[in-house]
Amino acid sequence: MNIQDLLKLAGVAIVVVGLALRLRTTLVVVVAALVTGLVSGLPLFSHEGFFQNLPYLTKPGQTGVINTLGKAFADNRLMTLFIITLPAIGLAERYGLQEQSADLIRKIRAATVGRLQIIYQLFRALHGLMGIRLNGHPSFVRPLIFPMSVGAAQASDTDSVEKIKAANAAAENYGNFYGQNLSTVQAGILLVYSHMQALGLTVSVVDLVKYTLPIFAASVILAIIQFRWLDRALGKMAEAKR
Amino acid sequence: MIIGYVFSLETVYVLTGVTLLIFALMTFADGANPRRLGSGCFWLTLGITFMFGGVAPHWLTGSLVLFLVALDGLGQVGRGRVETDTAEKAEHARRLGKRIFIPVLAIPIVTFAFALIFRGVGMDVNRGALVGLGFGGVAAMIMCLKLTGGGARALMNEGRRLNEAMGAVNILPQLLASLGVIFTAAGVGSLIARGIQQIIPADNLFLLVLANCLGMALFTIVMGNSFAAFPVIATGVLVPLIVKPFGVNPAMAAIITLTAGSSGTLMTPMAANFNIVPAALLNMRDQYGVIKFQLPYALTMWSFHVLLLWLLIKVS
Repeated sequence: MNIQDLLKLAGVAIVVVGLALRLRTTLVVVVAALVTGLVSGLPLFSHEGFFQNLPYLTKPGQTGVINTLGKAFADNRLMTLFIITLPAIGLAERYGLQEQSADLIRKIRAATVGRLQIIYQLFRALHGLMGIRLNGHPSFVRPLIFPMSVGAAQASDTDSVEKIKAANAAAENYGNFYGQNLSTVQAGILLVYSHMQALGLTVSVVDLVKYTLPIFAASVILAIIQFRWLDRALGKMAEAKR
Repeated sequence: MIIGYVFSLETVYVLTGVTLLIFALMTFADGANPRRLGSGCFWLTLGITFMFGGVAPHWLTGSLVLFLVALDGLGQVGRGRVETDTAEKAEHARRLGKRIFIPVLAIPIVTFAFALIFRGVGMDVNRGALVGLGFGGVAAMIMCLKLTGGGARALMNEGRRLNEAMGAVNILPQLLASLGVIFTAAGVGSLIARGIQQIIPADNLFLLVLANCLGMALFTIVMGNSFAAFPVIATGVLVPLIVKPFGVNPAMAAIITLTAGSSGTLMTPMAANFNIVPAALLNMRDQYGVIKFQLPYALTMWSFHVLLLWLLIKVS
């Protein structure tokens, strides 16, 4: 590998280091894109129109990195299309959407902490299936699932409660991560669809959802096992206390 | 012909652009937002790229993207306060009850219906789902207005509240997809592919699948974002070393690779929103308590991804 080749990896390095340092994500990504293009010898702008007359900014016969960025951004508008759903969801929230969801959650009759987590994980995956993007930690986990779990637990010593808290957050993450690809309009599916298109491979969003099914099934089965263990561990801790 | 034009992707992009334009105008007028000028410009510019992205010259769209990112990089994008008359609405909400789910459920239903119709008339299902999402959003707006009796102003204000709550990060997936395009144009993928080929024999499918899923998880752990890792791994490993040489179904391989990254998200403090913030919200003693609980699950899920991808390629 020669120096020229290694320089091309600068963009990858910028993304990795920039995000690891928690710099502004959007800025890191676009700087990485510009640097990658420039070190690969691409000009800033394509050699056309009035740019032809500007020195240094163009090279005949080569597409500029800003042109590529603009085309890619326009082609990928589908990733940000969900904004059009926000007014309806926002207004529905104002008229009790969250409260009604909370009402549904409260109706869950779960005998154990573990079962409550599994039901919540499925409830969360259902949001994914409906194409709803949501961070459930502040809206459902903290105000609802946590107190309900403590209510369902046999013991309320600190160690048990710490375990329950971790399980609450995990159920939200499991349901969110492995459930969101069940809908054709979620960001993950669209990212894969457009990126594969950019690599010259046309995939169907329906196929993407289809191949998510075994993964979703595994995520639920594995969660059932882990949350059963949790029930058993909590039971033992309660017994030891007695 | 006209119907084809109305129900096109470009139409829903324009509708989304108009929505953003309205958000921007409301932000400009929002005295409670200390960054209203920068924020307003951000959403206005994004709206312009949505409305004219299909016809504007690429250098212009590209320059507007740089402007968007500069605004965010300088910390000029912030959120305001949307005031609402809660007492009156709480009463109304009680009367509506579960009916409030109807407009929200309309979004996936319309999306699905469009996908089916597009398939029925022999058009691209992918396009149908996206156009359906756009019109589903519009249908839900109309239903919501009728159902709640809230005005159009309240509707847009609430949309703006959600949009500003997410902030500039909204455009991140779009930017990441664009980064992937530039990586491809610059030949970054083939470079990574050559590097991996020096370590792993090109005919050893299992090791390649392992490297693919491991790379995805490691990049996600370091960056805290599987969407950022995917373009790098897909361009550098998945497509050149697995999909093309072995003739693998790209949809299957790609989506399994993406969620192999999700296992990484479960293990990393870099994904603070999912792992560290919840620990704080729940007042946990150990800020890594959530990650520790998720670790055995994440490792098992990751191994499952490796095996599943390998087996599905083997049997096909």
